[in-house]
Amino acid sequence: MLYIEDIEYFDLVVIVNGCEVCRRVPTHQRLLDFLRDDLRLTGTKEVCGEGECGACTVILNGETVNSCLILAVEAHGSEIMTIEGLSHGQNLTDLQQAFIEKHSVQCGYCIPGMVLSAEQLEHEQAQPDREIIKQGLAGNICRCTGYHKIIDAVEQKGDR
Amino acid sequence: MSKYQSQIGRSLPRVDAADKVAGRTRYLTDIYLDRMVYAYPIYSTISFGTIVAIDPAPAAAVPGFITTLLALDIPGENQVGVIIDDQPLLAAETVRFKGDVIGVAVAETESAAHRAAQLVQVQYVEEQPYLSIDVSKTAQSKYIHSSNIACTHRVDRGDISQGFAAADRIIEADLVTPYQEHYYLEPQGCIVVPETDGRYTVYGSIQCIYYVQKAVARALGIPFSKVTVIQTPIGGAFGGKEDVPSELCARSALAARVVGRPVKMVYRRHDDAQLTSKRHPFQMHYKIGVTNDGRLLVAEINLVENAGAYATLSSVVSYRAAMQAMGPYVIPNIKVLSTAYYTNLPPAGAFRGFGSPQATFGHERVMDHIADQLGIDPVELRLKNVLRPGDMTLTGHQLKASVGIEATIKQAADAADWVNRRRKNTSNGRYRFGIGIAASHYGNCLGAAGWAMDGAAAKIQIRRDGSVTLAYGLSEMGQGANTVITQMAAEVLGIAPERIIVLDPSTDLVPDSGPGVASRNVVMTGNAIRNAASQIVPVLKSAAAEMLETDPDRIELRNDSAEDTDSGNAVNFNDLANHLFISNRPMDSLGWWHVPALKYDPETGVGEAYFTYSYSTHIALVKVDSLTGLVQVEKIWAAHDIGRAINPAGLEGQVEGGVAQGIGWALTEHFQTKNGSVITPNLSTYLVPTTADVSQVQTILVEDPEPLGPWGAKGIGEPAVIPTAAAIANAVSQAVGAPMDSLPMTPEIVLNALD
Repeated sequence: MLYIEDIEYFDLVVIVNGCEVCRRVPTHQRLLDFLRDDLRLTGTKEVCGEGECGACTVILNGETVNSCLILAVEAHGSEIMTIEGLSHGQNLTDLQQAFIEKHSVQCGYCIPGMVLSAEQLEHEQAQPDREIIKQGLAGNICRCTGYHKIIDAVEQKGDR
Repeated sequence: MSKYQSQIGRSLPRVDAADKVAGRTRYLTDIYLDRMVYAYPIYSTISFGTIVAIDPAPAAAVPGFITTLLALDIPGENQVGVIIDDQPLLAAETVRFKGDVIGVAVAETESAAHRAAQLVQVQYVEEQPYLSIDVSKTAQSKYIHSSNIACTHRVDRGDISQGFAAADRIIEADLVTPYQEHYYLEPQGCIVVPETDGRYTVYGSIQCIYYVQKAVARALGIPFSKVTVIQTPIGGAFGGKEDVPSELCARSALAARVVGRPVKMVYRRHDDAQLTSKRHPFQMHYKIGVTNDGRLLVAEINLVENAGAYATLSSVVSYRAAMQAMGPYVIPNIKVLSTAYYTNLPPAGAFRGFGSPQATFGHERVMDHIADQLGIDPVELRLKNVLRPGDMTLTGHQLKASVGIEATIKQAADAADWVNRRRKNTSNGRYRFGIGIAASHYGNCLGAAGWAMDGAAAKIQIRRDGSVTLAYGLSEMGQGANTVITQMAAEVLGIAPERIIVLDPSTDLVPDSGPGVASRNVVMTGNAIRNAASQIVPVLKSAAAEMLETDPDRIELRNDSAEDTDSGNAVNFNDLANHLFISNRPMDSLGWWHVPALKYDPETGVGEAYFTYSYSTHIALVKVDSLTGLVQVEKIWAAHDIGRAINPAGLEGQVEGGVAQGIGWALTEHFQTKNGSVITPNLSTYLVPTTADVSQVQTILVEDPEPLGPWGAKGIGEPAVIPTAAAIANAVSQAVGAPMDSLPMTPEIVLNALD
């Protein structure tokens, strides 16, 4: 988080993974830090901190956003879903299950963001083809897999 | 009785995947401890010079500031060099690159620690820095260390003057490869917790827990027994977390000692790029003597490496590059000189392949130069010279078994329809097409240079309820270690993989197993598991025989039970485990395996450089846009002799990921410094491949079993990336009709080649 001498605060109300959360937050706090440091929803990752990698992807009012580029106060009154809200404990989605079956995961650090981007893609377009999937996931960097098995999982899920 | 299913060769889904897709995996960055404080490095802002004054006072103004620590606060030894003792833990006098760490700031929050570190005032007397290999070579005085040469290695075999005299043709080439940044997604990080009895527990994104144990103990001046190092799940490493974590952990330990609270240190991304090691840039000169029909007679090879400010792992990177400098070919006369020079740039160190991708770029580009000049097809030239069982490697290591290089070349060429594609007209208006091949061999494990620490442990512990834990000392950095060792342990015990939990590697669980590097997990941990099995399986069989009132020789462990092969009677593994306990039998076993002795002469570089080799051939098909210079890799055929695939799908994943990193190094990843500052620290300037940049990949597995490998297996982690860039360069060379002898092949460079 940015270092600031004179911190101002704001009383934030948001719905996170279906639950209303009311917290006093610094006005310069990023949504990413609010989720991770304050709510300990650590499934959302920070990699580049500049909106280039997609690891901090969350779903804000139905749209994927990079939570490193948004202030927590900007989300006031919004609904946020993080990776923790997607699977609600143990019940994995079909897409998450496909990631497991297709060996799409290696180190896993990009995976929460990748899964949320892929879920959103499928939400917007049923049965996307490989080119559409590639375009849809181009904002999520993975350094391990070369993406093939990730695209396989999204494609397979679309086929179901 | 159900049919027996082997766990070996089965694509078991990864044991860690469910937690990772659900966001449940707790990486180091995700750990918050009670009373935890944060530390951040204070580092040099000049490239080379002497510290004359350090004023930490301005940092104290930051709310939440706790303290700063400098070299004089180190109770033990101020040294963190991993092989050569050339690197102070905290620079006290000389600073050697922008990013050389001078001290540590500690504060209540991460942002306060970061701000405090920035506010510490350091005054220097600056020296003229050495910012390239060429400048470093010319130094007459004021060396970076006692000299500007970090290390040299050589191979001297046969007689090169005779070789050149007998050669029909002599072909020379100069090749250049650049830095590569790991860009692991999880940054460097650790937490050090002070415990009772003067002990410390270290958690971190760490490939080599035993390196960290030594570094922390050395800095604090305490015995190894007081330092426990636990590896948290690693969010990518690729070699970048081999030696660098020792620095973070030892510096954080200094803070934990003084503050008496848990200390967390996580590098911010820009600092991670400036402060930590990268792939060595190489300059190579190859001079090869051949016969007119394409037989290699002689090679004289000069490899020059940019080590950066500290040696870190340069000596073994330089060694590996030298030992593999002419690739998987028969060459009777060879002289290799491999020299790493210090520069005032960020250190170069371990990166997947460890000198091999660079050497492979050298030998495979020069093979294509030879093919061009002799008018021989590149595949034919390689097959004419390739290593076969009974042949000697360039270091004079006579190979007996598991020499699958010929098969990888042939199978890749067949799959790629090489003959037709190579002959086809390669121009189509705006777009030009090319196809290129590269072959390589990769010495498994640490080799003769690291033989002393090339042993590893695995511990199988059976619980009374039939569940099993498996401990090992290497690393799961995303490559799938925990899954393949689960399969191997399930195989030896005849149980379902679901019974097994792999414990996070910890220095407390198994003896020093050396570093989690060099693609050594499958071979080392696999053999250690087999050794553990040789101790515990007879115990299980004797207990089962007692329960079934039969002879232990008639017992087979399979299908989650112990079966009497004569009667078909069986006892479930749960009951068997309980019987072990109540009959007072041992419940665990510690396995160990060490690479056998290698006959090698370090003076001449001749002998068994490594105990065995993994072999790879990649063929790249590229499309070059003659208008923009943009290269698109259409497809890579990747054939790998890995001895035996333990988990084929996981193995494919390794290959596909390695190919993507090779594409990045070849085309898009242009790491640059200016006056010693990294000017490509982020993803908008340093282009890690995205879904739009990767090619199709067809993985071809050649299984030529290695007698010393577990179930015949050899390593794959690094071979996956090694030949990719060379194959792409060979393909682009054909497409543009000009030799591409340096990387990266950015559009600008390709356009120039087209002119």
